[in-house]
Amino acid sequence: MNVIPDTSVRKPTPNPNPIPNPASAPSLQPAPKPAASRILRYLAKEWSSWLLVVPTIIVFLIFAWQPLVSGIYLSFFRTEGYSAVEFIGFGNYVDVIQNSVFLQTLKNSFVYVFWSLVIGFVFPIAVAIAINELRRGKSFFRFAVYFPNMVPAIAASMVWLLLFQPGENGVLNMLLSYIGIGPQGWLQDSRLTIPLIVATMTLRGFGGTVLLYMASLQGINQELYEAASIDGAGVWRKLFRITLPQISNIVSLMLILQISGVFQVFGEPLVMTEGGPNNASMSLMLQSYFYAFRYFEAGHSMALGVITFLILMVLTVIYFWLDKKFDKEA
Amino acid sequence: MRKSEATGIIGQLELRTPGVRALYMVLFLLMALLAVVCVFPFLWVMVSSLKDIKEFYRMPPTLIPQTFNIEKLGEAWNELRFMQYYSNTLIMTVGSVVFCLALNGLAGYFFSKLKPRGSVFLFTLIVWTMLLPNTVGMVPMFKNIIDFPILHLNLTNTYWPMWLMAGVNPVVILIFKSFFDNIPQSLLEAAKIDGATKLGIFVKVMLPLSVPVIATITIMTVNAVWMDFFWPFMVLKDQSQWTVIVAIYNMKALMPIDQQYITLTFAILPPVVLFLFFQRYIMQGYTFSGIKG
Repeated sequence: MNVIPDTSVRKPTPNPNPIPNPASAPSLQPAPKPAASRILRYLAKEWSSWLLVVPTIIVFLIFAWQPLVSGIYLSFFRTEGYSAVEFIGFGNYVDVIQNSVFLQTLKNSFVYVFWSLVIGFVFPIAVAIAINELRRGKSFFRFAVYFPNMVPAIAASMVWLLLFQPGENGVLNMLLSYIGIGPQGWLQDSRLTIPLIVATMTLRGFGGTVLLYMASLQGINQELYEAASIDGAGVWRKLFRITLPQISNIVSLMLILQISGVFQVFGEPLVMTEGGPNNASMSLMLQSYFYAFRYFEAGHSMALGVITFLILMVLTVIYFWLDKKFDKEA
Repeated sequence: MRKSEATGIIGQLELRTPGVRALYMVLFLLMALLAVVCVFPFLWVMVSSLKDIKEFYRMPPTLIPQTFNIEKLGEAWNELRFMQYYSNTLIMTVGSVVFCLALNGLAGYFFSKLKPRGSVFLFTLIVWTMLLPNTVGMVPMFKNIIDFPILHLNLTNTYWPMWLMAGVNPVVILIFKSFFDNIPQSLLEAAKIDGATKLGIFVKVMLPLSVPVIATITIMTVNAVWMDFFWPFMVLKDQSQWTVIVAIYNMKALMPIDQQYITLTFAILPPVVLFLFFQRYIMQGYTFSGIKG
């Protein structure tokens, strides 16, 4: 029963349809050649293309893919130095989770994310919109806002460390004394340490985000605003009904990038507090770094890395699920 | 509508109403304040490094220095061997730029123009690498550096790890790819008819057409290398190999505070100068990478 439609397709009638039908294309060709010769033909044609990316692939293998796979693998082994010694199943995971610091570290990582959302999420959006509205000095403000991005993170952290010096000699404490506030402990104060680290991170990084938002704002069709004005919409109404919805895609992308990035925070607390005081600013990744390069327990370090990875995956999945749900309802 | 650029939510007519006018003034002041907060701390550290010792340690510190002691900078430069760190950083930068342009550029060309079967899979793999949080790879990567696979070389105290890592940047590959996508295929066909090889087409056709994107990526890489801390810190243990950033971090505990200010100035000044001169290219980087959004 296959025969009849098949022959009708094979009839060499000129096809009136200029677009070739992809479904019928294979049946028009002669019987498929053996796989080996097809591979040979493919190689003969494309070997030179692949040759061009061989270095890239090798470097990717060594610096990205192999470390990822072998890190997961090694997390199930007792390690000596940086090599596996003995398979111990989930032993490293149990050790890491039972360590008294783990819960605090986990909580801290979420606290970092919490403060980064409070301090650093709405802020760049507001600044981008504000600068975009200014009639004069736009490029100056763009420059000023981006300026901290150009300061190396380590240098910036060290600058803040100097400014945040506790005691009456600290620069910020001195400034506070002018308005009658006593000296603060700043980074030494366990309640302030995470918010302050996040504040300096925000100041350092928000300029880049502002530029991205501004590029997005420039893309909004001006006629939308004009039409809204004619209909009598005020400034606030235009902001909430036009501007924000128009940039919502990039805002939501930045949100997940920020959550994921801050959850892995590590360089700033390393330089500014080394996780202190009393582990108050210890994050999961900083702990993982300490396991690997301070206590030389590589297995523990990678187990903690895998745990962090899994938490991030769960967060991302939840985020996309909410995003989809929200999109449907909106 | 006199200027098409300077328009946003607040229309020209609205600006004349008192309420909106006041709002605009408030916005302007807030932004001015923000600009001060952004620039002041770093400027203050740089300017303070010029104060002479007496003024530097005066309590309370002066906000605007009254003394300028330029010689102190020169002394610290020589005493702390900053010439060495600057030239180390230069070596690391040049190598990184070369690897970044060559490897990522070829990859972009491969994914944009050559596109052999199977390249889509590789591309997906690379994009995934970018999206996956790399929380696990730190130790195995370090292991690969101290005992390079197959060759069994120890790459500590060399710049090779940073050079190679600069060669695999998924974001740069994406930027190259999206730029190459706009170069018409017909140019490539013409070169092919003239007998150019695939690599020849890349060097003679693609690269000359890509000067703007190459400039932007070069500036971005120079800047990134200058700031790079973690891997140089892990890899460059020997003082004679330190980069500027590694040096200021490693030396911070050993220096009196006034020298710390000076070294910070040495670390902050070059990227700031770079920014002043190449602002346009750096800002352009955000447009080029805008495809992400």
